[in-house]
Amino acid sequence: MPLILDEAAIGEAVASLVGEIRAVALRGRIAIVGVRSRGDEVAERVSAALTEQEIDHDYGVLDISLYRDDLSHLAENPKLQSSDIPFQMDGAHIVLVDDVLFTGRTIRAALDALTDYGRPARIQLAVLVDRGHREIPIQPDFSGVSLETARMDHVIVQLKKTDGGDAVELVSKQ
Amino acid sequence: MPILVKYKVEAMSLLIKGGKIAAEEGPLVPGDVLIVDGVIAAVGEDLDVPPEAQVIEAEGKIVAPAMFDAHVHFREPGQEYKEDIAHGTEAAINGGVTGVVMMPNTSPAIDSPAVVRSILERAREVSRIPVYTSGCITKNRVGGELSGIDGMRQLGVVMLTDDGDPVANPAVLKNAMEYATPFGMFFASHCEVAELSGPRALNEGKISYQLGIKGSPACSEEICMDRDIRLAHAAGAHIHIQHVSSAIGMETIRWWKKMGAEVTAEVSPHHLIFNEEDIGDYDTHYKMNPPLRRAEDNAALLEGLKEGVFDLIATDHAPHSTFEKEQDFVSAPNGITGLETALVSLYDRFVASGQIGWDLIVKRYSAEPRRMMGLEVVPVEESKPADLIVFDPAGETTFSREFMRSKSINTPFLDQTLQGRVELVVRGSEILLQR
Amino acid sequence: MARKDFLDIASLSREEVDLLLDQATPFKELFTRSVKKVPALKGKSVLMLFYEPSTRTLSSFEVAAKRLSADVIDLDVPHSSVAKGETVKDTVDTLQAMRADYIVVRHKMSGLPQAIARQTRASVINAGDGAHAHPTQALLDAFTLREVFPDLSGRKVLIAGDILHSRVARSTSSLLLKLGVEVGFLGPGSLIPRSGPEGIRKFTDFDEALRWNPDTVYLLRVQMERQDAQYFPGVQEYHRVYGVTRERLDLIQGEGIYIMHPGPVNRGVELCHEVMDYERSLINQQVENGIAARMAVLYSLKPQTDLEDADPGKI
Repeated sequence: MPLILDEAAIGEAVASLVGEIRAVALRGRIAIVGVRSRGDEVAERVSAALTEQEIDHDYGVLDISLYRDDLSHLAENPKLQSSDIPFQMDGAHIVLVDDVLFTGRTIRAALDALTDYGRPARIQLAVLVDRGHREIPIQPDFSGVSLETARMDHVIVQLKKTDGGDAVELVSKQ
Repeated sequence: MPILVKYKVEAMSLLIKGGKIAAEEGPLVPGDVLIVDGVIAAVGEDLDVPPEAQVIEAEGKIVAPAMFDAHVHFREPGQEYKEDIAHGTEAAINGGVTGVVMMPNTSPAIDSPAVVRSILERAREVSRIPVYTSGCITKNRVGGELSGIDGMRQLGVVMLTDDGDPVANPAVLKNAMEYATPFGMFFASHCEVAELSGPRALNEGKISYQLGIKGSPACSEEICMDRDIRLAHAAGAHIHIQHVSSAIGMETIRWWKKMGAEVTAEVSPHHLIFNEEDIGDYDTHYKMNPPLRRAEDNAALLEGLKEGVFDLIATDHAPHSTFEKEQDFVSAPNGITGLETALVSLYDRFVASGQIGWDLIVKRYSAEPRRMMGLEVVPVEESKPADLIVFDPAGETTFSREFMRSKSINTPFLDQTLQGRVELVVRGSEILLQR
Repeated sequence: MARKDFLDIASLSREEVDLLLDQATPFKELFTRSVKKVPALKGKSVLMLFYEPSTRTLSSFEVAAKRLSADVIDLDVPHSSVAKGETVKDTVDTLQAMRADYIVVRHKMSGLPQAIARQTRASVINAGDGAHAHPTQALLDAFTLREVFPDLSGRKVLIAGDILHSRVARSTSSLLLKLGVEVGFLGPGSLIPRSGPEGIRKFTDFDEALRWNPDTVYLLRVQMERQDAQYFPGVQEYHRVYGVTRERLDLIQGEGIYIMHPGPVNRGVELCHEVMDYERSLINQQVENGIAARMAVLYSLKPQTDLEDADPGKI
């Protein structure tokens, strides 16, 4: 499998995200919300970096299984996990974090899920990898890496906590 | 509809060659059987083949007296969508049975000479085997007024029963016994105490708890059985206990026989073969009354059969339509068909494994039921009327919908393949079935 | 492949049980949000087929289905019994016209939901059949207990009352056994099954049962309407011998034992009214958890109504 990003490159991509988000966070309190699964691990790293830099912020995790638009097409529904939004959603400035941005459907679901907790003042989107091929009009505000891929390619993101190691691989489907 | 061609044996004689002959006593005996003009002309090894004889090779096969089933429900009149005399008798032939006794729980019930006459006339029109009928003890089987006993007797009825239900009031039953016994009639009892039986769906025990349905305890059947034998004993009547399902029921009969009561009893193939565990997830093909009981009861009933506590095997052939059996377990009617599966299933489960022999099958499913009904037995012996089957122990039978001649297919054996096959059924000078 | 129907506890694997219990938690968490509804079952319809009167279970299922954004159809059926002569087949044919994806059935006949499930592509959920099973009740009971005892294995639950006629006793005991809970039955001898089930201690004396040291006493509703013959002399005697009287409540309180009940309660029969204020009564929690557990069940099933080339509703 061709390796696109190794551990060091992923570290740099996260650092670049942190830099951009930090600029926003310095202007006013933000809440980092990671999308399960792996988006939450990226968000955790971003959050840890901000904490290290003594930038106060809120942190939450979102499970979007119940908001997916493809449930009827699945043989088995995805395993539902808890969401954890321990702050007031009304008026919050949310930075939504995911690992890969592809069709945009996951983010569409996440936006619906977020707004069921209340009415945030603003939502921005940060992704580790933007691989293109959007099917709905959603664009990231911050992205670590942009990849040029074919529609049928698989971009596989592995992260330490979830998968045991950091790597981004690309599997081409002819 | 079965095709009612009466196959005459083309040649006036038929030679069944190389088979082994089964009788109610003793082992299988090798021998050819020559039938001339519907009568067994000769039995012996290496008989000469008469020039005009049709020869049937029976090497490795069993030649046995044809079976007789003393407990069948033909649903005519009234419920012909389940079964009728034409289909029921063809089902009998399909299973190697050449005589049956109908139960009277038809609609109207068989409780008067008029109904008996119409059934016997119908049977003469459509049936290739003799059909006998029992008559009700009480009108419409409700346990009140006595039925038209003497009128039915004059038409040949000898067995009186309210089968499907017991006669709840012991005084009514005792009076009936004292009245009809001098006429040479006898009584058959379906035993249970209604108040103990709940919805009459299954045995009370582990499975009834699991399935959440009030069970019918074995004691419900045993109490009534004991009561009816006691009444018969007091009234000097012959009582026949139908479809005994429990070990204690079997022992009850054994004890009463020892006491000298004039009691006979039957056991059905399904009570020997199946038990409550087979019900599984509400499979209504295992729902009958009396219900299937425990594995221990299966074993005890088989011992009872071997030891002669049971005088006969009878199927309680009880056809029901598929839509009725597809209801929930409590609402689905009781009973399964049996005529087509009895002999093969008994062979497959008990004879093939050596637990019982052909002598027992012949005695309990051919000779004794005929004797109880006052009929001549039909041994495969010289100068006896031909009434026999050829059975292939190496063959197989698949109980598919196409195989079945009954109007209904409510049997647990549906689409199963069992060892053994009825190959030929001959009665008089007619070949009733040849596979 | 996910299962189509939810009919009893017996057929569930331990993995399925754990998954359902785990998933009930995120559903329960939704109830604290301002919007309690999620779109998971948008466009699906859930048919309520209750042949037996029930307000609690019916409304619990309705709330669960609505919080998943399903359309709820409440079929008006005669409560006493299926109309005479109507077979399951007829009922299923009627249901097909409704194009339901999920059918929630309650019926006094044990095994009826099974019979329906065999004849439809819709997912069938058993909301209680005769004395046979009430699997969603069992799930909410186990979920409620797990909130109190995160590790259930080795815990002891005493189920008390009319075991013989109770589908709750059957399903809940069977689920608790799967989870490693020790289960005891307590009740009048006439209402305790003499044969089966295996692995359950049976008591006919309340004090002896308490000496067995249960962590929880699960009281069953005494169902007068299900009794075809008299099984005990009267409600006062029942209360005295088998009910949680004020004196027994003191004893229970002293031991820190929890109390559960599937509702609705009969005050003065299986319990005295003080039980309702007892700090370790889990009765209200059971009601709230019922919605979450039923949402988890609805979410876990896969109706086959979307299958292509399928004769709708038939297998």
